[in-house]
Amino acid sequence: MAEKTILVIDDDIDLVEIIRVTLENQGFKVIDAQTGERGLAMAKEQNPDLILLDVMMGKVDEGFQVAYELRSDEVTADVPILMLTAVADQTGFDFDPARDKDFLPVNEFLEKPISPRDLVDMIRKHLPTSV
Amino acid sequence: MRCDLQIHNERIDPGTSQFVSAASLRARLDWFNKLRWGAAVGVLAVALIAGVGLKAPIEVRGLLLTGIVLLLLNTAYSLRSRRFKAVDVAIELRLVKVQMVCDLVALTVLLNLSGGVENPLLFLYVIHVIIASLLFKGREIFQIAWLAIILFTAEVFGEYFDLLPHHHLPTAGEWAHELPFILMTLGSFWLVILFCAYVGALIMKHNRAIKNELVDRQAVLMDEDRAKTDFFRFVTHEIKSPVNTAQSGVETALELGGEAMEPSVRDVLNRSVSRLRQATKIVQDLADLTRGGVLKEENLTQVDFNDLVVTTVDEQRDLAARSGIEINVLLSDPPILLTTIRNMAETIVANLVNNAIRYNREGGRVSVRVVDTGKRVRLVVEDEGIGIEENEQGLIFDEFYRSTAARETSNLGTGLGLPIVRKFVEELGGTIEVDSRVGRGSTFTVTLPRKSRKRRR
Repeated sequence: MAEKTILVIDDDIDLVEIIRVTLENQGFKVIDAQTGERGLAMAKEQNPDLILLDVMMGKVDEGFQVAYELRSDEVTADVPILMLTAVADQTGFDFDPARDKDFLPVNEFLEKPISPRDLVDMIRKHLPTSV
Repeated sequence: MRCDLQIHNERIDPGTSQFVSAASLRARLDWFNKLRWGAAVGVLAVALIAGVGLKAPIEVRGLLLTGIVLLLLNTAYSLRSRRFKAVDVAIELRLVKVQMVCDLVALTVLLNLSGGVENPLLFLYVIHVIIASLLFKGREIFQIAWLAIILFTAEVFGEYFDLLPHHHLPTAGEWAHELPFILMTLGSFWLVILFCAYVGALIMKHNRAIKNELVDRQAVLMDEDRAKTDFFRFVTHEIKSPVNTAQSGVETALELGGEAMEPSVRDVLNRSVSRLRQATKIVQDLADLTRGGVLKEENLTQVDFNDLVVTTVDEQRDLAARSGIEINVLLSDPPILLTTIRNMAETIVANLVNNAIRYNREGGRVSVRVVDTGKRVRLVVEDEGIGIEENEQGLIFDEFYRSTAARETSNLGTGLGLPIVRKFVEELGGTIEVDSRVGRGSTFTVTLPRKSRKRRR
């Protein structure tokens, strides 16, 4: 089976490297982008199988904007998006993709910090065909 | 219209009266009204009892007429008060003035009918001036004072120079009609009236200045408090990211290293993860403590409180089992529906139960009870643990305070669990109490309203 590619969009380079080590160890290929704009471009060019997306990068809601743009582009519309967030504590929002799926453009919210095991489990759960 | 509640933190314009709202002025007017009923009835009673009953030589017809005019005027005032709502400060203030002028004229007529300068009731003028000094600003107080002086001086000299009829009081002698007595009485009358106006104006001026000072200082304190909260929120936000990343990093190292790792290295990493988790918890708790304004109508949901307690307690059963602690849950029957903020209610239950487990004795028991008390629901969380010294019971709800016994038991507590519980309970409109004995255990009792609503501040 072909190697699955995960695109990580997050401006925290250290976290990206930690995620890379975890995922490469599990046989995934990891590509990354530090800005939303770069992430969008990579998503279109490199056709990742799944996208890990941070909510707060340059702007508070940059991740959301990226997610909406990914969903509205034909090429990337069906790629699963897992959103990494520390936002709930900051805003008091309580996201629930199952309940709010009409309004939320992502498949899952992962509250930071997420343990490596949980991260891998979540990625396997949302990949189109399991590895 | 401003409501009474807001007066307390509203600056008073030094140029206006203390009673800045139309409603509070109306309340004063209604109070005068009551006093006036008493005065009118008193005049009528004196005229009837002394003049008609005891046949005393007083001006019965004049007194009765004045009493009736007072009654009619007062009826008109109270009808207006019932008919029209108080909306305009200026109108109410003008009405107070009209009434005060009418009262002074009525008092002058009454005095004229009952001995004039001989009648000690002349000091009722003083009471009017004192009331005016409480209601009006500086110049207006003296207008009332001078009106009282002019009316009464005119009355007295009018009688002396035979321009007005003089009605002797039955007890007064001819001396009362002599010029020295009149001048002495009038002199002291002028002095008392002007002194009252002066002192009243001075006291009220100071009073307003002090109140304004307090309001200003309160505003400064509130600003500082807000700045402090904003600072906490900012710090929390800045610390959260690096701590999260560090925790993920160490967890990843542990995960990847696995059993191949040197045991001592693994131990060091495990200790690091445990302390990083504590840091994450502090950061999360601080975020909970510093976030505000969550209690909005759209955040309220209907929650089955029994359900919520069971689910939340179940999440803690693993932790309890590790210390051989048994958790008993006694629910209310029938179930209680609360209109509340779910995650706040969950945090309240979770933090209390978590404390009851962590500060319990090995193999101890935790009892969780839900009691329906009608308009409210009561949650009782009881443990058999270390207990809290009496002098520390008031402090455990302060941020970062950890009791001596708690610090000896565990070094992983954040000192924020109970402050969060208290904050959430208060935001939801509830109360919290603690009852504890050292070495025997603690009981926390929370009451929550069936429907939480935004409190007025």
